[in-house]
Amino acid sequence: MRGRLARQAGIAATAVFALAMISPVVLTAAGAFSDSEWYGQRSEGAGVESTGALFRYVIEIWGRSLLRSAQMVGAVVPLALILGAPAAWAFRMRPYPGSRLLEAAALVPLGVPGVALAFSLLQTAGGAPRFWLLVVGHLAYTIPLVIKTVGNAVDTFDPRIEAAARSLGAGPLQVALRVTLPLLVPALILSSLLVFAVSWGEFNVSFLLATPLLQTFPAALYMTYTTNSFPVAAAATVIFLLPVVPALIAIQALGGEEFHRGLQA
Amino acid sequence: MNRSALQPWTGVLLTLPLLLFLSGMVLWPLAMLAARAFTDPGWEALREVLAAGRYRTALLHSLALSAAAAVVSVLLSLGPAWVLARQRFPGRDLIRTAISLPLTFSGVLVGFLMVVLLGRIGAIPKVIGLLTGDERFSGAAYTFAGLFLAYLYFEVPRAVMTLEAAFRRFPRELDAAARTLGAGLLERLLRVGLPLAAPALRSTLAVTFSASMGSFGVALILSKRFTVAPLEIYTEMTGFLNHEVAGALCLVLAVLTLTADRLLTVRVR
Repeated sequence: MRGRLARQAGIAATAVFALAMISPVVLTAAGAFSDSEWYGQRSEGAGVESTGALFRYVIEIWGRSLLRSAQMVGAVVPLALILGAPAAWAFRMRPYPGSRLLEAAALVPLGVPGVALAFSLLQTAGGAPRFWLLVVGHLAYTIPLVIKTVGNAVDTFDPRIEAAARSLGAGPLQVALRVTLPLLVPALILSSLLVFAVSWGEFNVSFLLATPLLQTFPAALYMTYTTNSFPVAAAATVIFLLPVVPALIAIQALGGEEFHRGLQA
Repeated sequence: MNRSALQPWTGVLLTLPLLLFLSGMVLWPLAMLAARAFTDPGWEALREVLAAGRYRTALLHSLALSAAAAVVSVLLSLGPAWVLARQRFPGRDLIRTAISLPLTFSGVLVGFLMVVLLGRIGAIPKVIGLLTGDERFSGAAYTFAGLFLAYLYFEVPRAVMTLEAAFRRFPRELDAAARTLGAGLLERLLRVGLPLAAPALRSTLAVTFSASMGSFGVALILSKRFTVAPLEIYTEMTGFLNHEVAGALCLVLAVLTLTADRLLTVRVR
């Protein structure tokens, strides 16, 4: 009896905790849809009178950064998978002298502040095309997530499956494409979602490395928070959250454990 | 032996792109950052950063804020993490998603949320004003306490997720065995729970501490007088174009963070 009561109290407290975490987000997002006086005047003229007009206005002023973020994510997700996933498999299944060291080195960026990495990149490769420098910054922080997620999946493999395929006459490429890859699909999907979520929200590296025309959407959020009226800032926040929430739900459904290591605020 | 043991080169080949990327784009720039300290202007800047003054204050602020936020967020997260890991109930995934949402927020967004809550016309002062007729905590977002709350806000999801993953791997039998052997709740917590949880607590502290040390956006929005190291780096870089000092600050910050990360993380494999 006592145990059950304690259990229910714990669940209730956790629900309250979650509510406290989410309420500032809801409160802020509501500013894009509410006419309440508390949110302040819709002071940027007729352009933001209605909610629809407000969102159109945000797209008009920050559309370019939205596009940049989309391009960034479009480059970072496949590259992180290409660089991280085969390596993660090799670290487990084809280790060689020094491979443990390389795996540890891949996790180093997680302990390096984004500003420090961004600064050192600027100093050594400042002449490189900036878009790709930003991609490099994002990759440094997302590849570790791929290595961990895919590595965890490879750990659960039965090594005999690949061996069985080989003994049945399949060549190495055939095994990779028809046995290993299909087994890794869930981990690859989860990795893509993690990389997407981290890259979409990344600010520190992007803000320092980007030229004005390359600013990503989180940088636009910074501009809008410091210069625009509240409803505009709220609408921009809603646009930022739109792809994040479904991605998060999918990550939870797939059991994404490595997520918490992803991002520096 | 199977044939794969004869193919160590497959491993080298598959990790080669990663090796090239890491050495060229991460390790080389960081090594250059460290090497700069051995040049005369670099050494001078390093001494300037470590001497009493604005830079050292910013570093100490970052250290204190990150350590405090790490410890408090772990304490706050123990309960929710335990419930999420060990209880099954309807709505659990929803609750977990809600708690993990701020993980994707950049610091500027967290800073803005804090302004909404505790800014000059923030929600909390308004509500308190409605209830008591006296608006309190207005503008608290811009104080040290506001900055600390913002740090907690983005650390708590990290702490909950890390601890939950660890709690889920706890062997249930040990607790039951201790109970059968007559151990009380306190004894079980201290002598079974704590030793089991110690590695998880340490790695959670590592995750939260290093995220705080790198935190930049929160201070960018909230910091008025109180400055932290990443913000100072940004100012030196873009405001004063003082690249020597910015580099030295980066180096010290990275060394502090990496050291803490090494010391706290327990490598299990």
